[in-house]
Amino acid sequence: MSRGAVPEAPEFTSGADAHRSTAAKPPRARGRIRKILIVNLTRFGDLLQTSPAIAALKRQHPDAAITLMAEKNFADVCDGIPGIDHVYRVELDRLGNRILEGGSQLLEAYRTVEHVIAELRAEHFDLALNFSSSRMSAVFMGLLGIDDVRGWSMTPDGLRVIRHPWARLFATMCLHRRYATFNLVDYYCAMTGGLADTRRLAYTVAPAATAKAATVLSELGIGDDQRFVALQLGASRAIRQWPEGSFAALGTTLVAAGFRIVIIGGGSDRPLGDRVAAEIGAAAVNTCGKTGVGELGAVLMRAAALVTGDTGPMHMAVAVGTPVVGLFFGPASPFDTGPYAADHVVVQTGAPCAPCDHNVTCLDPFCRDQLAPEAIAAAVVARVGNDWNAIEALARNVAPARIYRTGFDREGRFVSTPLGSPIRRREDALRDGYRASFLHVLEGVPLPAPMPAALDLTPFATVAQLARDGLAHAAQLAKLAQAKQPRIADLERLGRELDGLDRALKEHGGMHPDTSPLTQMFTFGKENLEGDDVATLAVETARLYRDLARCADDMVVLLGGAQRKEEENDARLHQ
Amino acid sequence: MSTPRSDNLAVLATRAPALATAIAAVVIPPTHQLATTAGGARTLTIGGVPLQHLVDPVGEAVRWARATVERLEAVAATRVVIVGLGLGYHVEALAERFTGAIVVVEPDLAVLAAACEARDLTQLLGRIVIVGGDAAPADTPAGERVLVVAHAPALVIAGGAYRRVLQAWQSQAARSGLRLKVLVVTPLYGGSWPIAGYAARALTELGHETHLLDLAPFHDAFLGLDRFGARRSNRRVLESGFCDVMSAGVAATVDAVEPDLVLALAQAPLGPTALDAIGKRGVLRALWFVEDFRVMTSWRDLAKHYDYVFTIQTEACHEAMAQVTDARLAYLPCGFDPRVHRPLALDRAEQAELGSAVSFVGAGYRNRRLSFRRFVDLDFKLWGSDWGAAEGFGRVLQRNGTRIDTDDSVKIFNASKVNLNLHSSTYHEGVDPRGDFVNPRTFELAGSGAFQVVDRRELLPPIFTADRELAVATSIPEMRALTEHYLAHDDERLAVAARARTRALAEHTYTRRMEDMLATVIGAAQERLLSRRRTVTVGDVARAGDGELERFLARFDATTPFTLDRLAASLTKREGALSEPEAIFLFLHQFDELYLREHRA
Repeated sequence: MSRGAVPEAPEFTSGADAHRSTAAKPPRARGRIRKILIVNLTRFGDLLQTSPAIAALKRQHPDAAITLMAEKNFADVCDGIPGIDHVYRVELDRLGNRILEGGSQLLEAYRTVEHVIAELRAEHFDLALNFSSSRMSAVFMGLLGIDDVRGWSMTPDGLRVIRHPWARLFATMCLHRRYATFNLVDYYCAMTGGLADTRRLAYTVAPAATAKAATVLSELGIGDDQRFVALQLGASRAIRQWPEGSFAALGTTLVAAGFRIVIIGGGSDRPLGDRVAAEIGAAAVNTCGKTGVGELGAVLMRAAALVTGDTGPMHMAVAVGTPVVGLFFGPASPFDTGPYAADHVVVQTGAPCAPCDHNVTCLDPFCRDQLAPEAIAAAVVARVGNDWNAIEALARNVAPARIYRTGFDREGRFVSTPLGSPIRRREDALRDGYRASFLHVLEGVPLPAPMPAALDLTPFATVAQLARDGLAHAAQLAKLAQAKQPRIADLERLGRELDGLDRALKEHGGMHPDTSPLTQMFTFGKENLEGDDVATLAVETARLYRDLARCADDMVVLLGGAQRKEEENDARLHQ
Repeated sequence: MSTPRSDNLAVLATRAPALATAIAAVVIPPTHQLATTAGGARTLTIGGVPLQHLVDPVGEAVRWARATVERLEAVAATRVVIVGLGLGYHVEALAERFTGAIVVVEPDLAVLAAACEARDLTQLLGRIVIVGGDAAPADTPAGERVLVVAHAPALVIAGGAYRRVLQAWQSQAARSGLRLKVLVVTPLYGGSWPIAGYAARALTELGHETHLLDLAPFHDAFLGLDRFGARRSNRRVLESGFCDVMSAGVAATVDAVEPDLVLALAQAPLGPTALDAIGKRGVLRALWFVEDFRVMTSWRDLAKHYDYVFTIQTEACHEAMAQVTDARLAYLPCGFDPRVHRPLALDRAEQAELGSAVSFVGAGYRNRRLSFRRFVDLDFKLWGSDWGAAEGFGRVLQRNGTRIDTDDSVKIFNASKVNLNLHSSTYHEGVDPRGDFVNPRTFELAGSGAFQVVDRRELLPPIFTADRELAVATSIPEMRALTEHYLAHDDERLAVAARARTRALAEHTYTRRMEDMLATVIGAAQERLLSRRRTVTVGDVARAGDGELERFLARFDATTPFTLDRLAASLTKREGALSEPEAIFLFLHQFDELYLREHRA
């Protein structure tokens, strides 16, 4: 075995289940999959983003019935998503009110959950996918007791597990958003075991919704043949909301370019819509609160384009085929929640702190100001006219903001490609490196040509070496554990050394943030090892170390640092 | 021939025979005048005070009953105690509208006799419980919620007897059933600091949800203000600013904990602005002023911002405080904690180090420094700080005059044959001839089973009996003489100490003090507290049964608050597979963390 090469994990006759492999192989079939449950308790945009995964499931299991569990307030959108056979609505508001009330109402909340669990258990689902990444959903999945769960779940003794390597990768990248590279939709699809072949979101607007939308628009003076741009003003949180003055300026410029403006949103956005419409003038109308989710889709189908932040309506526009000009600032990133279809435009702030954490409270969201209304208007006009040259030219003039064009790679995974040839930053290099490396290790996709970057790659080399040490130890442990009478003292010693290596990896990731996605992915993998059989656990551990070493080596190769010197291989931090 | 009187007494005889006999023997005095309205209804006046409407007593009674039923429903009361029967109109009207238990307390037997004579109360007497004369208030049956109300006209009657009875029944009701959430706030340091801890523990023992806000960690920061080297005027500004920060912190804790009652010990850094804000939230504010009101005068500015002020002194103190506050004032002496102040068996080394014939533990106030010189010729050990280098205590002062902690103090009490207990004074030379309050040491010594010679205090007699439970000296020579006497009479000394401990355990624990404190607080604010959102306990929701949920809840004490935080906390200590109830409550807890915490804040 040559120095630096990652040894293959030895084969053992431990009977380890194939599905425990860190490679993204489909789970071992335990009979036909007849009933599938998808849990997604987030907002309607996320539900739309589930549509490609549903299509992937239907392709793999054409006879299976798919139930989607969704929050009642947002579940109506599921009626238009193809492939959903049954929607299980849960009233989280009501549950929350009972919990807030406390006392006997807390007991009622208990009974409610008990009832939901009983109903879902009675369905005897064969497969469940948890697309809600939270401890709460993990406990819920644990309660359901479904054999094949992918995503966050809970062991019988109350430990959080994240089942499926792509779910673990998603959790990892949520903690490292600057390097996040895969779209949420692609994570969902990967968890089903197959890629989406739709390359866009799916939503079918019902005829009744189309008719009602036409009436709403007509009453507001928007004729069937009138070109209009839709503006989504509101957002789920203030930090995601572009200033209303900016929207007003944008609308005014677009009116001057010959468009009408249709403001969309919920009832709570109505006052905001009125103010902006008033400022734009008679060419603008406010439909906030006048449309349900189906009518929203119908209105967007007629729009020449939608200008929006990272919102549910953005995903609806994608699903109905309307061009989007997305305004991404604050915690929004075009890589992980960008409009999932080709040829949409995303304008992203160049603020060094973006994307910020989802839970941050920002006292000075200056990032929003980098998206100038005039530039956005120019992007809209160019996109409506399909003038990508103009958008490319615009991209060269909006720095530090960036303009991206959405698309898909050869395998059909979402990509956001920066336009205007902006300067490649270190996070861009790391993002690209992680994308290629994880695809290589998880999916077997060949590595692309190196993309040299001015980065210190020594930390990655250190991770690789630590991982190789771990692999050797784990292999030795597995061999010892398989012996007829294993020496307990040796097993314990190796176990302690592996613990030491794990600590060293964790510390290393903390001290070298560029490598943290690797060490975190490894940690999530270790947390998911279940069972008491030492040999089996050792084999699984060895696989995790092997994958870690491969990823780390890939990063070194891809990002083209100086060749590792022989003596660096002796940097055994754990000793 | 039957009369209303004979029929009424016959019914009463089956339910309260002793009371019926007592009523039968009553001669109604001339002050109690029965009359008849134009409509034929009977009325009763006492000393000119009518006990009901003189034209339409029935209509008045119905209005009263409707309003009272609303009050009962607001607090979910299952039992009502009405002080004052009058001629029974209001009780009849209430009995038609309230299905719970009705107890009527009528301290005046003549009123009972007049009512029996004037009206047919046979149906009413079969429905209610009558408590007559000076019978002591009864306990509230377990599981019931009681509201004590007054028949208002009776409170007007001269002498205040009805008012006293009302307060007694309210206090008794307060002792049972109502579970409060109490925040106890300590001072930064000083003698009242440990008392806060004892009080909090006692409140928890009584079944109340108690949160102790210990501000002692901030004492070093307060002392650190010295670093600024400020002039006196600036120093005051700094200290005031520091106290403002402490006050704001306490107010923030109140906001987070949402107690029913804040109990602050004397010298707790809690200023007027914070107290007013706390009061505006509907939280009751009580101050336990365990200091000499003449020496520590902070009460002058603060007492008016409290609802209750409890003191270790009485008349003069209350008179002075009443000038500046409308708060309810009540006497509440210190006590002891039986888990801390208790008899101990010491090993030989401890006895050698800590033991002596005579000892004193405490700070060297002026009167003590002057007085204890008279004991240095004995086998005398002096413990504590501030005894001064040149005072002549070199031979007897232990541990170089360092402060002695509570644990060692209790050991010293136990290791000494005679414990001197001289109340401090900064200006007397020996015994303060007008000293009134009783210091904590008196109770702590008694609780520890330790013999003490204590200086005479005005408020000592009802607490302990001199010569029986402790030796009381009116002067320092007498203190010396008593010390010598009891050193020479071991049996006598041990018997006195044993009796003191018995008395202390029966009457002077902090648990008892907190019961009394709460009786005053709850008695006066019962309805307000009952109508506040109660903390539902596991006992409230648990039902008998063999289901998984029932088995899960059975693991908790019935008084455990039925909250997700408490239930989830119990899961951190468990091992093995989660049961379904455990997992569901864990789910609800996570739901709360994910969606609702921000909403609560």
